[in-house]
Amino acid sequence: MKDDLKVGVFLCECGGNISDTIDLEKVKESLDVEFIGQFVNLCSLNGRKLIRDAIFDHGLDRIVIAACSPISHEKTFQDYIKPLNPYLMDMANIREQCSWVHSDKDRATHKAITLINASIEKIKQSDAVDPIYCQTPKEVAVIGGGIAGMNAALSLAKQGTKVTLIEQSPSIGGQMAKIGKVFSPVKIAEECGMCLLNPILNELVWNENIEVLTNTKVIEAERRGGTYNLILEKSPRYVDVEKCIGCGKCAEVCEIEVPDDWNDNLSMRKAIYRPFGQSYPEAYVIDMDNCSKCGDCFRQCNMKAIRLKSKSERIPLQVGSIIVATGHQLFDMDKRPEYGYNRYDDVITQSELGRITGVNGPTKGKLLKANGEVPKRVVMIQCVGSRDEKPDGHRYCSKICCTVALKNANIIKHKYPDTDVLICYTDIRTPGMFEKYYKHTQENEVRFLRGRPGEVVKKGDNFIVRTEDTIKGEFVEIEADMVVLSTAMEPSQGTKEIAEILNVGTTEDGFIKESHPKIKPVATDVQGIFVCGTAHDPKDITDSIMQGIAAASKVSEYNYGGVEIEPFIAEIDREKCILCGECVKRCNYKSMNIQDDEVYINPMSCNGCGKCLIGCNQRAITINGNIDEKITSTIKGVLSKKREGQRMILVFLDNIGYTAADNIGVNRLSYPDSIHIIKVISVNRVRPRHIQYALENGADGLFIGEFPGDLMYGEVERKIQNVKDRIAELGENPERITFSKVYIPYYSGLARKFIEFDKKIAELDEAK
Amino acid sequence: MQKITDSPIDFAEHIIEDVKNSKEEGVLKCVQCGMCTSTCPAAQHSDYNPRDIIERVLDGDISILEDDSIWNCFYCYTCHSVCPVGNSVCEVNQILKQFAIENEMGYDKLYEYMGFADSYFTAAIGAIPEIFFKDIKRDVPGWWEFRLHLDEIRDELDLDPPLMPSKEVIDEVSKILTITGFKDKIEKIRATQG
Repeated sequence: MKDDLKVGVFLCECGGNISDTIDLEKVKESLDVEFIGQFVNLCSLNGRKLIRDAIFDHGLDRIVIAACSPISHEKTFQDYIKPLNPYLMDMANIREQCSWVHSDKDRATHKAITLINASIEKIKQSDAVDPIYCQTPKEVAVIGGGIAGMNAALSLAKQGTKVTLIEQSPSIGGQMAKIGKVFSPVKIAEECGMCLLNPILNELVWNENIEVLTNTKVIEAERRGGTYNLILEKSPRYVDVEKCIGCGKCAEVCEIEVPDDWNDNLSMRKAIYRPFGQSYPEAYVIDMDNCSKCGDCFRQCNMKAIRLKSKSERIPLQVGSIIVATGHQLFDMDKRPEYGYNRYDDVITQSELGRITGVNGPTKGKLLKANGEVPKRVVMIQCVGSRDEKPDGHRYCSKICCTVALKNANIIKHKYPDTDVLICYTDIRTPGMFEKYYKHTQENEVRFLRGRPGEVVKKGDNFIVRTEDTIKGEFVEIEADMVVLSTAMEPSQGTKEIAEILNVGTTEDGFIKESHPKIKPVATDVQGIFVCGTAHDPKDITDSIMQGIAAASKVSEYNYGGVEIEPFIAEIDREKCILCGECVKRCNYKSMNIQDDEVYINPMSCNGCGKCLIGCNQRAITINGNIDEKITSTIKGVLSKKREGQRMILVFLDNIGYTAADNIGVNRLSYPDSIHIIKVISVNRVRPRHIQYALENGADGLFIGEFPGDLMYGEVERKIQNVKDRIAELGENPERITFSKVYIPYYSGLARKFIEFDKKIAELDEAK
Repeated sequence: MQKITDSPIDFAEHIIEDVKNSKEEGVLKCVQCGMCTSTCPAAQHSDYNPRDIIERVLDGDISILEDDSIWNCFYCYTCHSVCPVGNSVCEVNQILKQFAIENEMGYDKLYEYMGFADSYFTAAIGAIPEIFFKDIKRDVPGWWEFRLHLDEIRDELDLDPPLMPSKEVIDEVSKILTITGFKDKIEKIRATQG
């Protein structure tokens, strides 16, 4: 039946780009189809009319556009063939992969005929399929209540989106709440951090579109279509937020004292406490790990707000997208014992110095050593745990430690001009406008020594910092009575946990990875999940806010437009499926799961690789759109145009490889005309029987290319090796098959590989 | 002045290729932070400076081979273990010393070690050369008495006399050292010191 289909071929001259090299008259003569049209510029609106008229006049069922690459114009021509189904059109790439890479007119023309014939054979196998549109729920979960998460939540809420802000600690505010002073590059002054944070916090609290859940963690996440089903665990606060008026009488009577982690353990707090003055919700909380359940607070509370018997609660939450803003933590100083942090009270971190100099800190803002005296010399050590390839260190630059050190040095100098502050650095990194602040710090008589200290030792009442002044080239021992370590920023525990729960990719350093580091800075590998703040990488407050707002904006785009998905994905025959779960286990893209006694396939993550097919003993899975048959027909279409003595090599590439191959043409490099590129959805779809069929029907060589970043790379590599072994058993030469890495920017390398492979096949043919 | 045809990095490349260099491209990653010098025991007691060694290597300054200070590194490997970029100055030093020797430099430094070489030939073992005894006697209290009375101490502890290589072994070791050219080198070094 499919042979009766009326196929129309449209040839594009591309303003000479194609017609100067390819003899289109000859092409027309050699094709046997219902209709052949030709136009100087097929992608223009006139071209659209030509195509549409021909479809009506000749009753065409299938269309082949012989023009440029589908990467540039597939969408255009899918639109131009209306009213036909968009998937009943195929593009033969006779520009990037023919006229731009071959100069011999006769050979280029013959190759164009071959490529168009392949498209004709392929399109006859195509069925009408509908693109899948996914509209996702508009509700959003923002995980993490620091400055990035708060700004993302607020931006979305102001656009009318319902947001649930999930914070695992008893208060929102995050790290910014405890850093004391902040500074800006232009304004040479240190400002009160809390005074800047509070208005944002208030605005957020009063916004009706935001629900704040503190003491809450995401413990499970599951995705179905564009919907995330989250299970949250809300730990008890043991104090009724509605009733507590924050009078603090409970804490007054509480007899238990423990180190206050909000003050970096530099002061004590009670077992019933408020995390900090402006914490939200404005209610006390009981630290049950340290509570003795004496009942004093319960008896003291006039509001009857204490609930000692509360239990944790599980809350289901359904959202369409998620913003991860789970923040950072600081480098563990146990890993660098040479600086004496755990041995000496007056060796502290910049974070602790921030608390000490903060007016709401343990000394009410006075810079004092453990013995109560003002230090005479403070030495700061930069890059502790950063730019460090030693075991447990971090190779990256933590980006903010230089400017944080400058800030704290200035704060010390303002209050205690007689205290000598010396910063030991390797490079001072104050990009952009922050250089001004660096100069200001120098004017403020803060001293700088270029050299990375190796050791801090105690000598009498003071410390000796051993370093080299690398500018003078002299070994120096600096006496100090306070040492401040600028510790690296690393992903928080919460960031690591959420990455695992949501199955989003992380960098080798454990931060949440963006889907493209340059042009997609807030999207993650998973559609519908976005990242912002220091969960993504080290950054300052301004950058965290900007990224939070950017993430909100991306969520809005997503909520507004929905997502269109190519329909070539797996489909389950529910009659045949016995729910063995084999496909779920096999799927590298984690796009399958079992829900309510059904295998559910997520169309947003399935890429149609077909790995699930192989494991299904029930043969209950198919890939939409006749993929297998289309590949066979394409091979047939190429090989049926083989001329006597012509060498034919088939190259299978997916979208990434195909783009790399296009780049060879775009850059006007060349490769042998034996190379015939076949675009597939996933190279895993190329089955052993396709390879065998090609070899039996005249293919001289087969080249399979895969991007190493693809989740199926390892598997395809193994599969090809198996195919080679089998081919050898059948008496064919396995050398005729090759598997290769392809990268989009490395097109010149791909061209070279084509040339080398062609040469190798030529040698094999000669030997035969 | 550095001329356009100069290629200072060749010196570093030459060192990186040496089999003794285990840290691959570490030399090239040095940012001169100075952490090696800050922890180097030799740097604290002499004019040896490990950071400066790498700087001169990266500058292509071959005159470093003639510099006395490279002989002050005694391979404690502290710089190797603390370097934040994964470089090893002490391995670079070993390579530099080797280059120096190949270029017939530093023989006077090697001369002090001749006692080790002699003990290979006469006893087929490595022993502390007598030239160092005076210093050890001064620096390690009790060591000299211990050494003088070693036989009595072993006796007291009911230990056999130390097991020494037999004559055949000594002959064989001497033969190997001669055939491999070790002996020639020794004689060459000795000759330069008159």
